[in-house]
Amino acid sequence: MKTTARIVVPIILVLAISLLLQGHNLPGGGFIAGVLTTVAFALIYVAQGLDYLDSGVLGQEVESGAGVFEHRSVTAFRQTFMVGLAVAVASGFAALLFDEPFLTQTFVIVEHLPLYHELEFASALAFDVGVYMVVVGVLLTILSVVGAE
Amino acid sequence: MAPELAIVVTAVVLPFVASGVAPLVYRLAGDYTGYFGAVVALTCFGLVGTQLGSRGAVALPWVPSMDVALRFYVDGWAVLFALLASGIGALVFTYSASYMHDERSLARYYATLLAFMGSILGVAFAADLVVVFLFWELTSLCSFVLIGHHTEDRESRYAARMAMVVTVGSGLFLLVGVVLLAIAAGDALGATTFDLAAMLADTDAMRATLRESGLFVPALAAFAVAAGAKSAQVPLHFWLPNAMAAPTPVSAFLHSATMVKVGVYFVGRLRPLFGGPEWTLLFATVGLATMTVGAMLAVVATDVKELLAYSTASHLGLMVAGFGFGTVYGSEAGVFHLLNHALFKAALFLVAGIVAHEVGTRRVDALSGLWRDLPVTAAVTAVAALSMAGFPPFNGFYSKELLFEATYEAAHAAGGLAWLYPAVAVFASVFTVLYSLRFLGIFLGERPAAVASVHRPSLALVVPPAVLALGTVAISASPQLAVDTVVQRGVAATSAGRPEVHVEFPTHVSPPVVMSAITIGVGLAGYAVYDRVRTAVAALADAASFAHPNLWYDRLLLGVEAASPRVARTVHNGRLRTYVTWVVATASALALFGYATTSGLAPGVESTRITAAMGLVLVVAVVAAVAVVIAPSHVVGVLALSILGFMVAIFYILASAPDLALTQLVVETLVLLIFLLVLERMPAFYGDLRPRVVARDAALSAVVGATAFLTVVLSIPDAGADPTAIARFYATEAVPSGGGTNIVNVILVDFRGFDTLGELFVVAIAAMSIVVLIEMRDRGETQ
Repeated sequence: MKTTARIVVPIILVLAISLLLQGHNLPGGGFIAGVLTTVAFALIYVAQGLDYLDSGVLGQEVESGAGVFEHRSVTAFRQTFMVGLAVAVASGFAALLFDEPFLTQTFVIVEHLPLYHELEFASALAFDVGVYMVVVGVLLTILSVVGAE
Repeated sequence: MAPELAIVVTAVVLPFVASGVAPLVYRLAGDYTGYFGAVVALTCFGLVGTQLGSRGAVALPWVPSMDVALRFYVDGWAVLFALLASGIGALVFTYSASYMHDERSLARYYATLLAFMGSILGVAFAADLVVVFLFWELTSLCSFVLIGHHTEDRESRYAARMAMVVTVGSGLFLLVGVVLLAIAAGDALGATTFDLAAMLADTDAMRATLRESGLFVPALAAFAVAAGAKSAQVPLHFWLPNAMAAPTPVSAFLHSATMVKVGVYFVGRLRPLFGGPEWTLLFATVGLATMTVGAMLAVVATDVKELLAYSTASHLGLMVAGFGFGTVYGSEAGVFHLLNHALFKAALFLVAGIVAHEVGTRRVDALSGLWRDLPVTAAVTAVAALSMAGFPPFNGFYSKELLFEATYEAAHAAGGLAWLYPAVAVFASVFTVLYSLRFLGIFLGERPAAVASVHRPSLALVVPPAVLALGTVAISASPQLAVDTVVQRGVAATSAGRPEVHVEFPTHVSPPVVMSAITIGVGLAGYAVYDRVRTAVAALADAASFAHPNLWYDRLLLGVEAASPRVARTVHNGRLRTYVTWVVATASALALFGYATTSGLAPGVESTRITAAMGLVLVVAVVAAVAVVIAPSHVVGVLALSILGFMVAIFYILASAPDLALTQLVVETLVLLIFLLVLERMPAFYGDLRPRVVARDAALSAVVGATAFLTVVLSIPDAGADPTAIARFYATEAVPSGGGTNIVNVILVDFRGFDTLGELFVVAIAAMSIVVLIEMRDRGETQ
């Protein structure tokens, strides 16, 4: 189980990121990518236990028996969805700077790039990143807080 | 002359801004905050004063693309009301600076009082009915805070809650009326609008449409309830005497001069729109009934402020009755008495405050002979009380004459039962004379021994009522001048035509003069046997105790208090499955009801395209669903549920919806993982099944399933039909304006980005509530 998780989790994470980035043109998007990322973390929890993220990845001591809110990762998750909300709202307000209604999106296609030839930059991506962060943060907060019970 | 937008907006907004900074000012200036408020009120008074004589609508565009604007309507009636509110406001603020000296939470007091003044100005000038409603409820809210100023006092909390329930509750009737008017405006004026000015500009079309659609009487009734509760009309008058728990300056400002007049003001406003036989029947009757009941109860009252409160209800009844009559005298009586009553009643309340402050008691029977100690106050009281009683040549006499004239004209025109109008008006006015003299009596005669010492009131306490009394004297001396300055324009705004108003001292005998003579004569005679009259009226009131609305209010509240926990125990009993039962049952019922009323329950699908592969997937899904129900253990159940979920995902792929399929797959995986996490914590055995519970759950599941099925069937577009305009828009515009070929994603982040943002907030709030719940439990808070 642990070995499987070790191999599968990075693959899932990369897949999630690619879903997020390609979402505008191919199946994918912030929500799906967010849920998929959560699945990766859930796998870690199932395989390694709740403390693994703090002790194994972040490298800090975890007092056994301490409440779930002392987990640094939980704090990080909570911050993630707050930042995500901020990003989504800010991307909406950005349109106001160009004298457009709230949440207006646009896109630029840059051509003649090495390797890619052409690349599209959609302002909607910023909003989608916000969606992604909110979904990841919320689901992981719930998962870890409830899972700790 | 057209009104000036900037001035009107400033006058309405300034008090709110001042209210915002009032706590800061209080920290710096302490008791002098009262004078700060007075300056603000005077500024508003000056600003409004410049609009005297202008008439018309001004608008501040807000969302121009949707025709939403902050509209203000200025005419003589609005200016009169706004002048009264700001003028008396200035005096009350001055008075408060001294009167509220020893009180606590003064920052809140001044902030609320200022916000209240802003709300009143808002009601006066608002031309948009939604804005009217907003300010209307704001006045109720401020009144709640001010009545409950002594938060530690049980009685004051009770009174504040009662005022809130009655006035805010009846405000909902206003909302109903507003919506009905807006619907009618849709037909009459060509567009659904909340613009009161537009409706008043074309009253004939509005009236015709209301009558045609049968909404005339319902709308009238809704407005009558709202205005009646706000202006303390029978049978919703009972909150006003209780509201006397408020500090006296508040009573003088809110519960005599301004807030309670909002109802009267609105009645006057709607008079050109609704005037007719129903209108007269309703408002003349209610107004005269209130006038009588209020005056009689005022005679019984033992507390000075209670006496004034009932008297206020009675005089509000006079104004409402005045507006009820269709003749021009009626609207003259209403407008002129609004002005006169505000002046003398605010003065009397301020006098009552001085008496309570300097003597220490408010009991009518314990007070007499105060003229020696409080000479100026006594003079003020003499002017105000005689005006209240309607003695010539004071201004109250003139407005009462107008009411008598209106009742006489109505009776003369209609005959029969309508002769009750003048009879009741005279009957009620006799009691008015009685209690006015009784109030004056606390200054006359010898001082009782029980009242030890009387302090001299400070200048800030005496000047405001003196100013009001001077105003009363000025109007009494030259009523025609006051009429020309403000009343005439108010009458024009509340009547259909453009009537001319003439007020002068009667020089020959006419029906109203006779009525006044009877009133004063009987009143003076009755005052000689005041105690016996009082005993008789008190006995009458006791005999009718079953009809006391206060009693019914208490019973209603107790009933609600008792019933609410019972509902909570049934619906919210702390068990998750009960919650789920109620939620899904309600949702299904609402959805089915919606389908039944709109489209009928008959599905209109002719053909569907199901391939063999789809059929196979669906069969597997059904088998999995059955397996979930009969699964012997949790693990089997969860796995079967996952199979069901994955089958649905595969179905999405077959139906060429890759985004949906992807989402379904990922969510299904996550759910499976979460189940695996919690599975070992679940009890293996729940107890024996009870057939009744099983039957109920099965029935509920069947209903939910049927609802979902119906929803799907009803919402499927016809296979052969063209895509809708919205679908076409999304399909064609996704690439050119969204820059993405994944339509689902473009819709989510671009076209309907606002929806997505809202959902993000919902999701975040859900997470926060879970965190809070668990954190609360960790700290040992289980409830």
